[in-house]
Amino acid sequence: MKTVLLLLALSIPAWPHHSFAAEYDGEKFVTMKGVVTKIDWQNPHLHFYMDVTTAKGEVEQWKFEGFPPNMLVRQGWKKDVNLKIGDHITVTGWLARDGSKLAHSREITWDDGKKLLSGPPAGTGGN
Amino acid sequence: MTPRWFAIFLLATIPLQAQTPAKPPVPRTPAGHPDLSGVWQGGNLAFAIGEQNFARVSAPGGAPAAPVKPEPPPYTEAAMKIVQQYRDRRGIDDPAARCLMVGIPRITGMPMPFQITQTANQIIFLYEAFHIFRIIPTDGRPHPDDHTPSFMGDPVAHWEGDTLVVDIIGFNDKTWLGGVGTFHTEKLHITERYTRVDYDTIVYEVKMEDPDVLTKPWNQRATIRLRPDDRVREYECGENNEDVLRFESLLKNESLFVRKQ
Repeated sequence: MKTVLLLLALSIPAWPHHSFAAEYDGEKFVTMKGVVTKIDWQNPHLHFYMDVTTAKGEVEQWKFEGFPPNMLVRQGWKKDVNLKIGDHITVTGWLARDGSKLAHSREITWDDGKKLLSGPPAGTGGN
Repeated sequence: MTPRWFAIFLLATIPLQAQTPAKPPVPRTPAGHPDLSGVWQGGNLAFAIGEQNFARVSAPGGAPAAPVKPEPPPYTEAAMKIVQQYRDRRGIDDPAARCLMVGIPRITGMPMPFQITQTANQIIFLYEAFHIFRIIPTDGRPHPDDHTPSFMGDPVAHWEGDTLVVDIIGFNDKTWLGGVGTFHTEKLHITERYTRVDYDTIVYEVKMEDPDVLTKPWNQRATIRLRPDDRVREYECGENNEDVLRFESLLKNESLFVRKQ
């Protein structure tokens, strides 16, 4: 695995903005379910917020980062159409290194089974 | 194969042939040079436009746009120690994270398309990423003597057969070349070679020379693919660049992100 990551680091890089690895831990992959509470359709990253109910019944507020709008539309997104406040969704992604309730999203699955990629894979921009 | 089965085989191949029309030839300008005009995408296409769109764009084209056996950067021993420090810091020092123009050849690897417009005496690159543009004279003029160090450098170009050769000097030392920490000095000299090998493919070769930090020229190669159904959109990196604020927080506690030796 180390060899693969090294090759990525040496090739012409393909990350749009900043290193994934400085902020997020590629070894802390998570799947979280919740209800969307806020959407910031902005550059250089989409941000959306989600209420997540823990096993203890407590509601936590989580923030997720994603592609910028120009790349979202190429994944099939439309502003205010696919993702709406109140949607029940499942998000996959990677946790922030600082331990805050922040994650880098990769894919969103809606309750009707529809899926859209929302962010690049882990490791883009260095390891 | 019996005649009957051969006939069935032939019939079975007809629809396939109908679905894969021959590619148009490489378009040419009145002067006879390959015309590079169009919307193009370098870097990792699947990542840039999604797996489904990638499958559609790729057929019946060739391989995805990935560098072929990346050549490691030939840094001097002293320079490599600095590169390794950047890597250990997991790219937090990336100039692009501050929304600065990403330089060359990194702009070619961005997961966002760019448009080339070719005229008789100039070739113009308009990149979606970071609003970068490059206006490159092809009329034989030399580099001007009044350029100042810049992120994208000063380019002039000429044709060598069917290959556009871009010579770039006048860089500042504030960009990374091709990976985390791949710094350079103002002595950087880059030669790009663009060869439209077929209708929807440009082979991109780049040579990076910097006598202060590289022991020999560093060569990279990538494939750039035509994106006939796409257009250059907008990417305004500075709109809400809150990553920088989070970096400031991380930098106060480097144990959170610096790789352990």
